[in-house]
Amino acid sequence: MGKEIVKNKDDIKRVKTYITGLDEHIQGGIPEGHIVLVAGSAGTMKSSICFNILYHEALKGSNSIYLSLEQSHASLMNHVINMGYDISVIDLVLVQDLSELMSKMASVKGNQKGSIIMVDLGAIRKEIKDMQTDENRSWLNVIKNVIKKVKEHVPIKIMTLDSMSALYVLSKFKNPRIELFYIFEFLRDMEVTSLLISEMPTDGTAYGEYDEDFLSDGIVHVRLTPFRRNIVREISVVKMRTTRVNNDVFSLEFKDGKFQALYGGQNPLL
Amino acid sequence: MAKIAFGIPGLVRKKEGGLVSPWSFDTKSSLLSSPLVTDIDQDNNLEVVFGTKGGKIFCLDTYGKMKWEYSIVEKVDPVEAMFLDAESSNSIESSPAIIDLNGDGKKEIIFGSALGILYAISSTGKLLFKYEAKGPIKGAVHVADITGDGKPEIIFGSSDKKIYVLNNQGKLLWRKTFESEVESSPAYILEHKLIVFGDNEGFVIALNQKGEEQWRYKTGGKVIAKPIAGKLGEGEETTIIIGSTDYCIYALSVQGELLWKYGTEGAICSEACIEDINKDGYKEILIGSCDNSVYALNHQGDRLWSYETNFWVVAKPIAADIDDDGNIEIVVGSYDHNIYILDSEGTYLIDHIPGISGVVHQAGHYSDVPTSESGQHRGKRIWQYKTDGIIVGCAYAEDLKHLVVSTKVGKINTIKHTKGER
Repeated sequence: MGKEIVKNKDDIKRVKTYITGLDEHIQGGIPEGHIVLVAGSAGTMKSSICFNILYHEALKGSNSIYLSLEQSHASLMNHVINMGYDISVIDLVLVQDLSELMSKMASVKGNQKGSIIMVDLGAIRKEIKDMQTDENRSWLNVIKNVIKKVKEHVPIKIMTLDSMSALYVLSKFKNPRIELFYIFEFLRDMEVTSLLISEMPTDGTAYGEYDEDFLSDGIVHVRLTPFRRNIVREISVVKMRTTRVNNDVFSLEFKDGKFQALYGGQNPLL
Repeated sequence: MAKIAFGIPGLVRKKEGGLVSPWSFDTKSSLLSSPLVTDIDQDNNLEVVFGTKGGKIFCLDTYGKMKWEYSIVEKVDPVEAMFLDAESSNSIESSPAIIDLNGDGKKEIIFGSALGILYAISSTGKLLFKYEAKGPIKGAVHVADITGDGKPEIIFGSSDKKIYVLNNQGKLLWRKTFESEVESSPAYILEHKLIVFGDNEGFVIALNQKGEEQWRYKTGGKVIAKPIAGKLGEGEETTIIIGSTDYCIYALSVQGELLWKYGTEGAICSEACIEDINKDGYKEILIGSCDNSVYALNHQGDRLWSYETNFWVVAKPIAADIDDDGNIEIVVGSYDHNIYILDSEGTYLIDHIPGISGVVHQAGHYSDVPTSESGQHRGKRIWQYKTDGIIVGCAYAEDLKHLVVSTKVGKINTIKHTKGER
């Protein structure tokens, strides 16, 4: 998507968010190949929303990459298992050692199930403490090379990067705006749908630290709003190129193993 | 505000003919620097030599046929390879140095890579030696006899914040560490025995032959351009000309004092060309800027003319008699894909006629007192040739009257003047 001009709007392929009540407000989902910021403060379930998309795509037989720069795979897995996801029905491939990447991909290739290739960069960083990074040797190159190499072996539909803030800390960009431009160009060239998790401060209004909001094709904003003696999660699609969007703010709930967007434009019980 | 521009016919020499491209060569890899044209193997024929982003050195004959290619092959640990950008880890970012290193009459090719390795290869493309620095080598290597032993030494800077000097066998003579990365190519001023280069902190630094710092001069931005030194007039002292990313071009004495500086409106990334283009007995300075223009300055740093292209001018300008009419032309390669051939004298263009422009621009107001110059000297374009990519470098083969142009899309194009219409 994005490189060819479609004949009509129905030819635009979309990736569902698998949030009941949201997809129908964005013409069925995120256009394939888009780079979408999933932005929100801590505790807004950004990682879970992204995992949910990858999980449901894996159930349909598609492969995806989840690049975790901070949260360990064990922590994320325990979290989603606790939410009720049955990870035995998908092929979960864990990469904690860069030298094993190719052999792990060989197993994905022969697998009938859809895979989530979870790359735990936190564990890899602990493993390779002595690697001197400089202008040429960078963690950003690791991320790019992982995506490229995985894609050489198996078709990849979605890539999640968790999180952009961790990438900035890790990569120490000299010219973040320029570097970001090239990262986005790289992701577009890879022709995967990219979900970039962006950490927002609780009181912040910017969806990214630099120009991510301008560069991205879409922004999904999740936030916490105090309501009486409770905190409710809310979700809105701020921007989605090539899509007719209902920008209403929906309440976001996770119930019976499903994300749901409810009560468009209103808080519940009002 | 619209300007009225008038050329003055009769003051400008009429030029005939046009530019044609006899051949082009596709390297299938991006190019980042100028080619060099020289006879490397003593066969009395010129060769075109250049490096690519993909880590290859090509040697072509002057008909565009490949004589040989040398590929950088480095074994890298698979895990370390994941930290590298596969497409540019062996990138050759600057023009190679071509010189007879070992006195056998044939020239060797010396260049550095983004992986931080310096290579010397023979005139037939065989590896002679290599030396590993600890950071990418982005600037060109300079070769000069700095020890006075009759053998050339190899001088280069690296992003590991060091300047290295090797002997002609590739053995380290000395290295010196600085506060910042060195991306600028060094120059050597033989008469004063000074190695001069710029660093990423914005300093222009001069070292003696032993690597002892003699002076440093602070500019306002990173210095990645190569310095050039020479006498701008007969009996004059040697002047060092160097551009900075602070948009200025600096003229420094060999003692490191500022003689003058000229401000453009864009970063200066490449070496200046110094040549007496108007036959006044003084050399002029030609410099490209990322404000899209090329500037011709006199030896005192005053603008003679400038010419604006449609994008950055990063390739070093060339002064040469392209059409064999006895007059020098200025060759400018631009990021806008075009080669421009300019008249070395420029031309005077009137922007407005005092009084009339006042009437035109300020209805109801009239002043007969000119408040600004009515025009200025501008570069005059004679010919223009569009290539298929961003122009990153140009060279001139005097014997053949060929321009050899490298473009970022990976093509080497030759361009020459033809008397007839193209």
